[in-house]
Amino acid sequence: MSIKRTLPTSTISGFTLSAVLILTFLKILLENLPSSIHRAGDELLKLNTQEGVANAVTTVVVYFRGFDTLGEIAVLFIASLGIGLMLSENSQCEIKAESNFMLKTASTLLFPIITLYGVYVMIYGHLSPGGGFQGGVIIASAVLLLLISHKDFEVPHSVIVLLETLAGVSYVLIGLIGLFTLDIFLGNFLPHDVAQMGMLVSGGIIPIIYIIVGVKVGSEMSMIVQNLIKRGENV
Amino acid sequence: MFEYLNQAESIKNIVTIGSMVLLFIGLFGLLTQKHFIKIFISIAIMETAIFLFFIGNIFNKNFTAPIINDGFKNVAIMNDPIPHAMILTAIVIGMAVLALGVSFAIEYYKLTGNTEIDKMNEMRH
Repeated sequence: MSIKRTLPTSTISGFTLSAVLILTFLKILLENLPSSIHRAGDELLKLNTQEGVANAVTTVVVYFRGFDTLGEIAVLFIASLGIGLMLSENSQCEIKAESNFMLKTASTLLFPIITLYGVYVMIYGHLSPGGGFQGGVIIASAVLLLLISHKDFEVPHSVIVLLETLAGVSYVLIGLIGLFTLDIFLGNFLPHDVAQMGMLVSGGIIPIIYIIVGVKVGSEMSMIVQNLIKRGENV
Repeated sequence: MFEYLNQAESIKNIVTIGSMVLLFIGLFGLLTQKHFIKIFISIAIMETAIFLFFIGNIFNKNFTAPIINDGFKNVAIMNDPIPHAMILTAIVIGMAVLALGVSFAIEYYKLTGNTEIDKMNEMRH
């Protein structure tokens, strides 16, 4: 048995192929890298000041590309649904190691704080970095902490269904109200005064939609995490 | 010696080269690995390279974050918000696809006890 390990052909060929591809790509990119990128965002930044929302990224995600965000939430919902359908129900969760007293106490102590931080990130999404997606993921991480520390913890399915349905329906309803009042889907029909920019209540429907997105993302992520933990075990 | 690094052009070059190195790592793993989970992780690494490329190329140290504050009201020196919004979308979609793929791999392993793509021959007969 030789000590020197021979490289398999697939490794060598894969290395060569990917190196050639990446070097070509890199050459094209480095030669054509524009010295000054023409920014499409300038116009959006000027428009953003009319909407009364401080965070321009929030305005782009929720208002200018609001329909796209609706589709994105639909993709997330379909992924969550697919995971729930795919993983079979019959296996029971059998985490081998029993979590000790300190882990259980600390996780129950931390759960409300992490949830509160997620809600804060969600509600202040139009004023500071953050928003619905980030806040939802933070809430899902709190649920993950409880799931891996408590053996018999389970997110109630009815609550998740209720939150998800309410969030999805109210998103579309807000869009339809905008369609009927302003002739624009997801039009900003609530008062959005520029003088109030930077306040918590400002920007019309934009913070409301981001909170809805946060609720939906949080419940879907919690469901994905729970399905992967509870049903992915015991293979 | 390191003043070269402070120029805007060199930062863009460094970000481009670094993200392409990351993309190379992901592509190499995608081509050579046979385990399902490793392939999905390679795809995730490639996604990360693209995110890094977009965000790093729009970065400019003289510009501020695109958030209008009391102190920052000049729109002309703000960063472009569009790549941030695009990458926010892409991260969420990438996470959803990764989770779905991992659940497929778990269920396939439960059914067949097989983790390698070379041995996937259930549809051959």
